[in-house]
Amino acid sequence: MSASHVSVETLSLPPPGLWHRPGFKRFRRHKLAVFGACGIVLLTLACVLGPMLLPYTDTFIDIRQRFAPPFSGPHILGTDPLGRDILARLLMAGRISLAVGFCAMIIAMAIGVCIGLIAGFYEGIVGTALMRFVDAMLCFPSIFLLLAISALIQPSVPSIVMLIAMTSWMEVARVVEAQIRSLKSRDFVQAAVSFGASHRRIMFRELLPNAVAPIVVAATLNVAHAILAESYISFLGYGIQPPTPSWGNMLESAQSYLTSAPWLAILPGAAITLAVTSFNFVGDGLRDALDPRMDLG
Amino acid sequence: MSSFLLRRFGQAVLLLFIVSMIGFAILHLAPGGPMSQFAAGGEMSQEDLDRIAQQLGLNRPLPVQYGEWLWRMLSGDWGRSYRDGQTVTAIIGSHIGATLQLMATSTVLAMTFGAWIGILGAIRRYSLFDSLATVGAMIALSIPTFWFGLVLIYVFSVWLGWLPSGNRYTIGDGSLMNQIHHMIGPVMVLALVSTAVWSRYMRSSMLEVVNQDYVRTARAKGLSERSILIRHALRNALLPMITITGLHVPTLLSGALVTETVFTWPGMGRLFLDSISYRDYPVVMGILMFSAVLVLLGSLTADLLYGVADPRIARSG
Amino acid sequence: MLALGLLAGGGALIGGQKRAAAQMKPATAPAKPRGQVVAGISQEPTVFNPLMPGSEVDQGVWWQLFSPLWHIDPQGRFVPDLAREVPSVANGGLSADGLTWKIRLRSDAKWHDGTPFTAEDVKYTLELINTPGFRVRNRIGHNLVRDIAIVAPDEIHWRMEGAYSPYLSILALTFMVPRHILAKADDPNTAPFNNRPIGTGPFRWGERVAGDNLLLQASESYHGAGPHLERVVFKYIPDLTALYTQFRTGQVDYLGIGGIPAHFAKEAESLKGRRISRSPTPFVEHIALNLEFGPFANKVVREALYLAMDKQARIDAIYYGLPVATESFLPRESWAFEPDLPVHRHDPARANALLDAAGWTRGANGIREKSGVRLSFANSTTTGNPGREQSQQLLQQDWRAIGAEMKISNMPAAVIWGDFWQKSKFESVTVGSNFMIGNDPDVTPRFSGKAIPAKQGAGLNTYQYQNAEMDKLLALGASQFDQRERKATYSQIQRMIREDLVLLPVYQSVMAEGLKEGLNGFAPNINCSSNCWNMRDWFWAS
Repeated sequence: MSASHVSVETLSLPPPGLWHRPGFKRFRRHKLAVFGACGIVLLTLACVLGPMLLPYTDTFIDIRQRFAPPFSGPHILGTDPLGRDILARLLMAGRISLAVGFCAMIIAMAIGVCIGLIAGFYEGIVGTALMRFVDAMLCFPSIFLLLAISALIQPSVPSIVMLIAMTSWMEVARVVEAQIRSLKSRDFVQAAVSFGASHRRIMFRELLPNAVAPIVVAATLNVAHAILAESYISFLGYGIQPPTPSWGNMLESAQSYLTSAPWLAILPGAAITLAVTSFNFVGDGLRDALDPRMDLG
Repeated sequence: MSSFLLRRFGQAVLLLFIVSMIGFAILHLAPGGPMSQFAAGGEMSQEDLDRIAQQLGLNRPLPVQYGEWLWRMLSGDWGRSYRDGQTVTAIIGSHIGATLQLMATSTVLAMTFGAWIGILGAIRRYSLFDSLATVGAMIALSIPTFWFGLVLIYVFSVWLGWLPSGNRYTIGDGSLMNQIHHMIGPVMVLALVSTAVWSRYMRSSMLEVVNQDYVRTARAKGLSERSILIRHALRNALLPMITITGLHVPTLLSGALVTETVFTWPGMGRLFLDSISYRDYPVVMGILMFSAVLVLLGSLTADLLYGVADPRIARSG
Repeated sequence: MLALGLLAGGGALIGGQKRAAAQMKPATAPAKPRGQVVAGISQEPTVFNPLMPGSEVDQGVWWQLFSPLWHIDPQGRFVPDLAREVPSVANGGLSADGLTWKIRLRSDAKWHDGTPFTAEDVKYTLELINTPGFRVRNRIGHNLVRDIAIVAPDEIHWRMEGAYSPYLSILALTFMVPRHILAKADDPNTAPFNNRPIGTGPFRWGERVAGDNLLLQASESYHGAGPHLERVVFKYIPDLTALYTQFRTGQVDYLGIGGIPAHFAKEAESLKGRRISRSPTPFVEHIALNLEFGPFANKVVREALYLAMDKQARIDAIYYGLPVATESFLPRESWAFEPDLPVHRHDPARANALLDAAGWTRGANGIREKSGVRLSFANSTTTGNPGREQSQQLLQQDWRAIGAEMKISNMPAAVIWGDFWQKSKFESVTVGSNFMIGNDPDVTPRFSGKAIPAKQGAGLNTYQYQNAEMDKLLALGASQFDQRERKATYSQIQRMIREDLVLLPVYQSVMAEGLKEGLNGFAPNINCSSNCWNMRDWFWAS
């Protein structure tokens, strides 16, 4: 990792401006990553601002207008089985889905980073116990675990966020643990130890900043994962409940209208794919940019 | 070698133990329970319900329930389904075939196509094909599997009428052709993600090998590009690939669950969903444990093969 | 349970037996069993001991494997099956006080393994139901049976602890189980019989592929007419759309329980070589109100909410006109159904006026309140039921118009039907229920003040409805044996429930069932818990 050559002195200095880092240049050269970043910005803007510009709200029911196909009338992307405007619902659902993805990522990161830090720093019994717990959690195929829990709780946006976070922090913990373990033996950490710095200081001031690169990459990919996870459990009926729209639950009943109103299934799915692809592109670009030695793309 | 095996085995057993505790805790601590399926029928009074709960041992303290479950599990009794009273092992046994059929077929397909795409991409690095393959793989990894399934059904079953929209075979016609016909859709869906994963790993693995000294030497010796690829590069690039298959088991299982739902495929995934909605704890626990065993076997195999492929690998953790 | 959701949410239609009957071409049954029927169902049959708790799908299978003493035909008449005649005061089977029962049995009935069926089996069945450790569906009625005496191999007598007229109906849905097999088992709860049942029904156990299908074979020794089919296959297809697709493409001969999704019903009716039966079900979709919850305690509020509900809009829009609007908790096919209840009309203006007059004033956000109580409540139903979810959203809009705020809070089946429902922790629930016991209108467990589980009562009165007058009527109805007298009693009960708006009735569910042309004998029967009740009479036209 590039961070391995940084000494303890330079770390206490403010980091160089983002724009001037070589990593950012590499990121900008990565066309797909730029495309992904644009996709995220556009989607976010559309979901935040879009609903205010539309003549319909996402909950306005107009039974006479139901099942209007896209581009056929006042409803640009058509209407659903209750005659609600699909574009308005897509955008409102986007708010929820993106927010769920983002919040779940934050929580998953917080858990994963803490556990990874502690496990990597202390190793020994604490570290082993924590990492075995991580291993055990990873033994469950993620959807199995998600469904087992979601069928048992009362679904709401916060509970779904927690649920997704609870089942997606393990990879981060592994990445951070490995990183911390390798950083621990470096000179600057040994120096901090010899100065008598507290454990907490070493962990959060010396080790963590040097593990930022993989964490940022993992965080970006985690958002993509969370959005997908939300769509899976909502599709299977255990996710976010109507009338709150989410991309996943817009798809829930779409299967039964596949013959008569295929746009009900196609549009939300396309939105999910777009969002997830964007985050994956960005994550991929970040990985290339922050760690030039790994060349998967 | 054998001490390594033994250690890995010991670790796997310990992991399974933790897995069982987590699974048990999650299922039993959540609100709702198997009793509500009886209550929903609307015929039973609270008395009846309490009586059944007692018979099923649901009103005892959780550690006691867990202890008993674990003890039985160790002696080979995975319990009986609350729904039809069959043993959990029999139920899993009768569903696993359909799932393995899907998983195996799609893995073979994904290996073939993924390897091909990856190799071609590595040879013609930065070509149009390579770029398309890279973007395609990224999108494939981002598509919600179930949605891809829906789109397939719409295009090939509803619109074109080429493929059946679900099921493992037509009743009364269990012929091989009929079964294959039914498999095309779900296998395509399940293979999508694996193909993407394979092509990406294959590409980078191939790139690494191509730059190794022995390949350069072979080239210097004037061997044809084709024989270099097959004799040297491919063989060395494929070995680590096999480990990917082992590590890919959890993703495959998750994918199978979703695919089975969309295509009404009578496998483990659907069994799991059914059992969850009935709160059939013994079956849900059984499937969780069973899939954990599969996952551990997968990673164990991956470790072993990795060791075989590259004896220099340090065997730690 | 899940079936509730499927029935009501998946789409239920109306029409009646007449239509299905009219479409049936007169045809004669073959002399020997011939051909097979693939019955597509959306839930998997898993319980094969007919005394244990089972779904409608399970019951559909029980009808093929087992026989009751008598059953009830589509017109509501009792028809003897294993009994030689249905006991009545007139034929001496019942004493005038309803306490002594004397049943004479057929002597030519045999179990599938060849053992003759005798009075011992009846005695064993009744005793097993009352065995404390046995996981029985319920003991209502059976727990009153005392002093069972076998007079002859084909005659059995018993005494009832109290007069209980619904017991005739209960027995019509109580299948006899073989003593010679179950008595040998260590524990009837886990006996091998439960997964390889032996009965006296028209079909015997063939093979079960768990998660996929169940095959039954014609029984050669069946004591009644039929069966005319060689095989019956119950094919489990969990997705209603996939199920319908397979019916359309001909992989499924009969699409029953679960039915054709409402939005496909029109299309289905135009299919060539298929016919659609709009079969009424005993399920009444209603908004269950927790009468102990704040605003609902007030009858004016319930009335206003009912007036503001646009019933027809949801029937037409969401269920494509298939279900029938109803005012009663009984299906209209029941002999006790009261057709002259006050008819609901959609009148938001009147609802607003009622609330205004009662002192519910509009507060913040236009939501009404009265002495600190906001007219705001949650409505719950099972998750993953699109029809219900849409229905809730329409309701939300209807009620918003009169200043009532309805929040939607749906839960997985395992959560909602647990303590949340049983112990009346809900505010309001959208649910479809069959209120009858068998085909008997006795609703003591539903509306008696002593049947509130939240108040230590034994029953299903989760509405927490308490009315001394109702309790008196319920006791009277259950002790009357003359059907005309009983009809009068249950009329009054229906009036009282409608008057008090204990629940807001929406519609009676109707299922669109599909059959292949040429399949004869199908006869929807609301009294039998499954329209597969008479598969023994089904046959293919040659």
